[in-house]
Amino acid sequence: MPLQKKIKSGDFVVLGEFEPPKGVDFAPFLKNANQVKGRVDALVVPEMGNAVLKASSLGGCAMLQEAGVETVFQVCCRDRNRLALQADLLSASALGIRNVVVTAGEDIRFGDHPQARAVNDLDVIGLLETLQKLQGGKDLAGIELKGSPTYFMGSTIDTSTPGGLLEIELDSLKKKIDLGVEYIITNPVFDTRRFQQFVKRVDTTQVAIIPTVLLLKSAGMARYIDRNIKGTSIPSEIITGIQKAPDKVQECIAIAARITAQLKEMGMAGVLISTVGWEDRLPQILDEAKLS
Amino acid sequence: MIVAKQKPIEEIIEEVKDSKKLLILGCNECVTVCEAGGKKEVAVLASALRMYFMNKGQEITIDEHTLERQCDHEYLEEIRGNIDQYDAVLSLACGVGVQFMAEKYFNIPILPGVDTCFMGATEERGVWSERCQGCGKCVLAKTGGICPVSRCAKRLFNGPCGGSTKGHCEINKDVVCGWQLIIDRLKELGKLDDYETLAPIKDWSTERAGGPRKVVREDLQA
Repeated sequence: MPLQKKIKSGDFVVLGEFEPPKGVDFAPFLKNANQVKGRVDALVVPEMGNAVLKASSLGGCAMLQEAGVETVFQVCCRDRNRLALQADLLSASALGIRNVVVTAGEDIRFGDHPQARAVNDLDVIGLLETLQKLQGGKDLAGIELKGSPTYFMGSTIDTSTPGGLLEIELDSLKKKIDLGVEYIITNPVFDTRRFQQFVKRVDTTQVAIIPTVLLLKSAGMARYIDRNIKGTSIPSEIITGIQKAPDKVQECIAIAARITAQLKEMGMAGVLISTVGWEDRLPQILDEAKLS
Repeated sequence: MIVAKQKPIEEIIEEVKDSKKLLILGCNECVTVCEAGGKKEVAVLASALRMYFMNKGQEITIDEHTLERQCDHEYLEEIRGNIDQYDAVLSLACGVGVQFMAEKYFNIPILPGVDTCFMGATEERGVWSERCQGCGKCVLAKTGGICPVSRCAKRLFNGPCGGSTKGHCEINKDVVCGWQLIIDRLKELGKLDDYETLAPIKDWSTERAGGPRKVVREDLQA
């Protein structure tokens, strides 16, 4: 069932995050995708996450669609102006890519090309308006298109922002919903009880919440995130669980599966499982979480 | 004002090393205020260069002069009578001054002695920070007098990105989040409604997209 229809029907959706390669060898990317084909509803292809150069989201999506896997095209404001963004969005639609997630993109300084010039011609709100215009059959300059696209529009939200800033994120979410956003993907969730506080603030009849489940790879990675990633805390039992486990990788997979199951239990619209380079382990997480 | 900072001395030496008679030319406007290219900086730099070349046993004559402005025909004319004696001019003006000099004195190399940084203000002695990027279409009326183009790292027009933490920008904890400032000020002014309204998609054609810009006031032209 197409992602949009499944979300509308209220069924729990499973998304996987598949980062395209840094290079032109898509073989492992496609092999891993084939392993989960039919078990995930769609694969989200990031657009140079953390501003690190990779093959593009559009390229990755096109490869996956060709392989018969539904995709979510991530479009960010950082690297392209309104001409390039519209061109890629039109191409995406023609390639059969309907699901689009709009993000601002991490700052270039965090990536591997810190000397690059950020574009930010449009902001997220402007880009969402652009999607609406294209769907209405015209480009941003008001010129008629030959055949108009249809998108299933999503965006991202940072649920970990403290105090007043969360209010601002929620205000921003309101604007996004008004502009046609139907689902939002959150930052990684490790503490589901804390996440529940955020969920309570959102009218889930208006927008589907898809939390990210990040596959931890080691206790060190968990500690690093806990200490350094703003607003993200990892419960200590998770970190000590990895430390004490005889098979640490297995424990990491079990943690991701457990959080996924908890989020399903909480009535979330779905999850995005991010395996950051361990895409070959995604089937194990799905097995453990007892997902199809 | 235009904020600049003096280039590293090694870079300046590389620029002027082949000169036999050099004029260091300061500017009495912005670069004087930001202490990068005024009369005082001209004198200090001239002394440093003289010492450097003397130690190397290299003969060079270095003269000093500071103009009222280097971005104005009238003041640039002041040196027309004696500029031909120099084989290079090291200008401590901003990039505008260097270029205006180069246009006027076509046959003499005009070398930059400062890096031109931005349009900004003096926060305190020795600290200058950016306030305007000259986008050509001011939105300050809607953003509480704080500019999202120059103060937000991502130049966002509809509120902060997710990277704002405790009022600081994700790129650097020493950078204040422009949108936090905007929201705080709109609150103070009782104008938070301005924040709720969607900002129209920015027209960047008045910025740099259309190439070098020009302002023409026919009523002032001769």
